[in-house]
Amino acid sequence: MDDVASQLKKFQKELSSGTVSLVLLAVLGQSRQPMYGYQIAKRLEEVGEGVLAGKQSALYPVLRNLEAAGLLASEVEPSVSGPPRRYYRITKPGRESLRQWVTAWTATRDCVDNVLQGGV
Amino acid sequence: MNAPRTIAEYLDQLRAALRGADPALIQDALYDAEEHLRAELAEQPGRDEAAMLEHVVGSYGAPEEVADIYRDQEIRVQRAIRPPPPPQRRSVMGRFFGVAADPHTWGALFYMLLALATGIFYFTWVVVGISLSAGFSVLIIGIPFIVLFFGSVRALSLLEGRIVEAMLGVRMPRRPPYPAQQGVPLLKRIGAMFTDARSWTTLLYMLLMLPLGIIYFTISVTLLGVSVGFIGAPFVKFFGGVDVINMNIDGAGYHGPGWPGTIGLCLVGVVLLFTTLHLVRGVARLHGQIAKNLLVSTAVV
Repeated sequence: MDDVASQLKKFQKELSSGTVSLVLLAVLGQSRQPMYGYQIAKRLEEVGEGVLAGKQSALYPVLRNLEAAGLLASEVEPSVSGPPRRYYRITKPGRESLRQWVTAWTATRDCVDNVLQGGV
Repeated sequence: MNAPRTIAEYLDQLRAALRGADPALIQDALYDAEEHLRAELAEQPGRDEAAMLEHVVGSYGAPEEVADIYRDQEIRVQRAIRPPPPPQRRSVMGRFFGVAADPHTWGALFYMLLALATGIFYFTWVVVGISLSAGFSVLIIGIPFIVLFFGSVRALSLLEGRIVEAMLGVRMPRRPPYPAQQGVPLLKRIGAMFTDARSWTTLLYMLLMLPLGIIYFTISVTLLGVSVGFIGAPFVKFFGGVDVINMNIDGAGYHGPGWPGTIGLCLVGVVLLFTTLHLVRGVARLHGQIAKNLLVSTAVV
């Protein structure tokens, strides 16, 4: 029983690490304004815990990697009430990547769904 | 470990959980955690810190969980900043000449040439900054100027970190240490700038960059020049029709060497060139360590 649970946890972690970049890029792609990490975490909390496999700390390193790859840009802004915040927004190459990733994701999802429904 | 009751406690536990990891990774992780925790705190001003942290351990992760997540991520980051390692060559010859196929060698060489320019710039910036700070300290603009100067040095340190990571392949932080928190009186925050050992080691690094830059530049240019000159010897003799060495001192002259000597000179040049590349690699590794020790705050638990 314990073994099954740990296998599930591992599988969720792998799924999440494969999709979290796409989700973050999509969230920022849909947002009209730049968003900061905490805001993104809360937005993801609304749609469910699935994407981050539970822990929100996982999204910060991913944001940073996406920024290093040039898909996101960020700047720090002092806020009126509270701490300074790092705002992320999507870049032009980011949008381009997002478009391609969505296509890739759709293809993967359709394929997996087909297999699961016994369509092979 | 007890549940953290304040943000400082949470960060201490996270630092402890990350003990042994790369200092650059620790700095990034602490920055992220502090940003998130302070945002969470600002979201609901009524809630006290302990209750907020209880909630955060569930959503953001307990310090140990966060540490695990960052360690996992780091493996991927390392893979990203390191180009795929060149195939391990067994033979001594392969290892000696294989250095040219490693992209980091060329990055390191470029860094050593660039170090002269950046070294002069950092040194000038710091010396001018310190002198003006000292001069202005008797005036009303003294304190703001010093604060501005220290801020600029921090920004430069982050920039230098990016250069070092790109050229030398040493992991450096992508985020500065988290700025002193709001609510702390201004004078205390300014005081923290001066008591932070990292501010001083950064200044030391920038001053050191001038002599180091000059040494790096001179060594690499000299060795490259000499080895390329040696390698070119046969071409000079063949196309130029003159001997490579033409000396005439007070009647006693030397013109030569002959063809065997010239070819030998060329071979010496090739060996020297690759030895230089190895040397550059070694110096780059050393400089990476210097940069890491002086620019990244070492976590004291």
